[in-house]
Amino acid sequence: MKNIISLALLHLALSLTFLPVSHGRGANLIETTCQSTPFYNLCVRTLQSDPRSSSADVSGLAHIGADKLKAKATAALGQITGLLKVAKDPKLKMALRDCVDYYNAIIKYDIPVAIEAVAKGDPKFGVQGANDAANEADACERRFKNQPNSRISASNKAVHDLSAVVASIVQLLL
Amino acid sequence: MVYKGIYHLFYQYNPKGAVWGNIVWAHSTSTDLVNWTPHAVAIYPSQPSDINGCWSGSATILPGGKPAILYTGIDPKNSQVQNLAVPKNLSDPYLTEWIKSPKNPLMQPTAQNQINASSFRDPTTAWLGPDKKWRVIIGSKINRQGLAVLYKSKDFVNWVESPTPLHSAKDNGMWECPDFYPVLVTGQNGVDAFLNGPSVKHVLKISLDDTKHEYYTIGSYDRVKDIYTPDKGSVESDSGLRYDYGKYYASKTFFDGVKNRRILMGWMNESSIAADDIKKGWAGVHAIPRKIWLAKSGKQLIQWPVAEIEKQRANHVSLPSKLLKGGSVIEISGVAAAQADVDISFKISDFEKAEVLKPSWTNPQLLCSQKGASVKGSLGPFGLLVLASKNLKENTAVFFRIFKGQNKYVVLMCSDQSRSSLNQDNDKTTYGAFLNVDPLHQKLSLRSLIDHSIVESFGGGGKACITARVYPTLAINNDAHLYVFNNGSKAVKIAKLDAWSMKTAKIN
Repeated sequence: MKNIISLALLHLALSLTFLPVSHGRGANLIETTCQSTPFYNLCVRTLQSDPRSSSADVSGLAHIGADKLKAKATAALGQITGLLKVAKDPKLKMALRDCVDYYNAIIKYDIPVAIEAVAKGDPKFGVQGANDAANEADACERRFKNQPNSRISASNKAVHDLSAVVASIVQLLL
Repeated sequence: MVYKGIYHLFYQYNPKGAVWGNIVWAHSTSTDLVNWTPHAVAIYPSQPSDINGCWSGSATILPGGKPAILYTGIDPKNSQVQNLAVPKNLSDPYLTEWIKSPKNPLMQPTAQNQINASSFRDPTTAWLGPDKKWRVIIGSKINRQGLAVLYKSKDFVNWVESPTPLHSAKDNGMWECPDFYPVLVTGQNGVDAFLNGPSVKHVLKISLDDTKHEYYTIGSYDRVKDIYTPDKGSVESDSGLRYDYGKYYASKTFFDGVKNRRILMGWMNESSIAADDIKKGWAGVHAIPRKIWLAKSGKQLIQWPVAEIEKQRANHVSLPSKLLKGGSVIEISGVAAAQADVDISFKISDFEKAEVLKPSWTNPQLLCSQKGASVKGSLGPFGLLVLASKNLKENTAVFFRIFKGQNKYVVLMCSDQSRSSLNQDNDKTTYGAFLNVDPLHQKLSLRSLIDHSIVESFGGGGKACITARVYPTLAINNDAHLYVFNNGSKAVKIAKLDAWSMKTAKIN
């Protein structure tokens, strides 16, 4: 009986020693990295929502950021194509079609370019890609200047802000 | 490079899209540096040492006139390594096929040499030392210190790292596309051999990864110790002397033995958003090749578009010398304003009311941004309005402002893109440079080469160059106009004005 308790205690002691350090080094790197971005809370929230972030270096965090950005942009594109299907006003349709182009550029080009650039060690193309993503979201938002559409605005802002965060993280690799 | 009288340009190219990626060495040739013929891709991933990318590098002409290319490859671990490729068939004047050394990579980051595996790229043109060994430099960094790693070789295949870099600088960040070459102290000719002696100086150019600006220094090269020392007073940072104060990067010079000159080739990427580039199907252009040489003062380089570009001139328009009153805008008609070459020189005689240059105004780009073409001044702004719409709603302004400095008059040259396009999606950053010309005793010249979405401007005969990318929506083709303007209060004299339409060249 004593031996089993000792073994159990030993097992417990060993388990506690090897707990993942999720509130140690990983969290600190996320915090310091996000401090150099223009949207600290968004940055921390986004990175922490991905389990890979606890053990990632700055390159890894950049990759996670890019993945999250792709998801956000893909959701925005879905929203836009959905609206395009039911839109009747020709001006609205034109604006939405332009936005489809902008978001395709983000998803098909900006994000893959950013990921490749970071992986291969030429981060300036990653910064350029992420900055371009922010500009594409802005371009879409400008299409609705005369006909405000709050549903897309929220998405555009989310994509713009997260792009700016990713650009700042990649900038750290220069 | 030039081989058997034919010029070769190799350039980073993405065959799969109008954005960076899948990079290969595309290849074009020309007999006049103006008309180009594309060939098959010269270098693309095919070995482990470049399977993930064929990045920048340079050609060296080996004894016997044999070209050899050293370039950065990305290996299976995404490390940056240096590889060698040579022509498959030297009797093919177009050198369409290249074969890679089976020994690649010849230089790579190791645990021993401690070279940063993601910061080791862009080998320059190699040169021979007095010991008959080849030297080559490769851009790198250690933390925030940029450096030019030096390698030496007897046979161009086996390379040994030198214990000290050719040169380094603190807080510069990664050094990309280093270019190291000799220049003659007098005259405009180029020189190839790294001679020592009073007739030659050396130039080290760095492309700064951090800022995407290139700067150079002029200095001395110790051929025995293999150390470069910039001249006293050199500024080694983004605030230093630049080849071009606008959109111009990843440039490289080569010695043109045909015409005994050094030629500078540069890359201008887009200032438009990717969606527009994808729509138009391309992105990135090369500047008109420039002859480059050391100024008489020995303190800066001078660049000028190669003379061959003048063959494209047609429909010569010349304005007689005239006074350009403050507030005037004069159209230069008779040339195709969207595809033109304009050369104007001003003479200023009354300096009384020149605005005083505040000591804190040390950043010319910032100064031009704050004092754009629409901000009235005293002596200036005056210059050209290019790619302008009839109502001037769209225009790109390239102009001068003259200030009274400490002991002399200071000339500010600006390229103002803020009103270049009604399309808000573009990057319309303004560019600026201080032009080292004394307006009291010298004429103030400005030459602009306009090509639809490119404006390459040369101040003071090439002492300051500013390149811009613009995308007008109204001022296109026959609806583009060209004006001379003076938005200052003081009149200036147009001493000479020549303009030409430029015939279309054969481009890729």
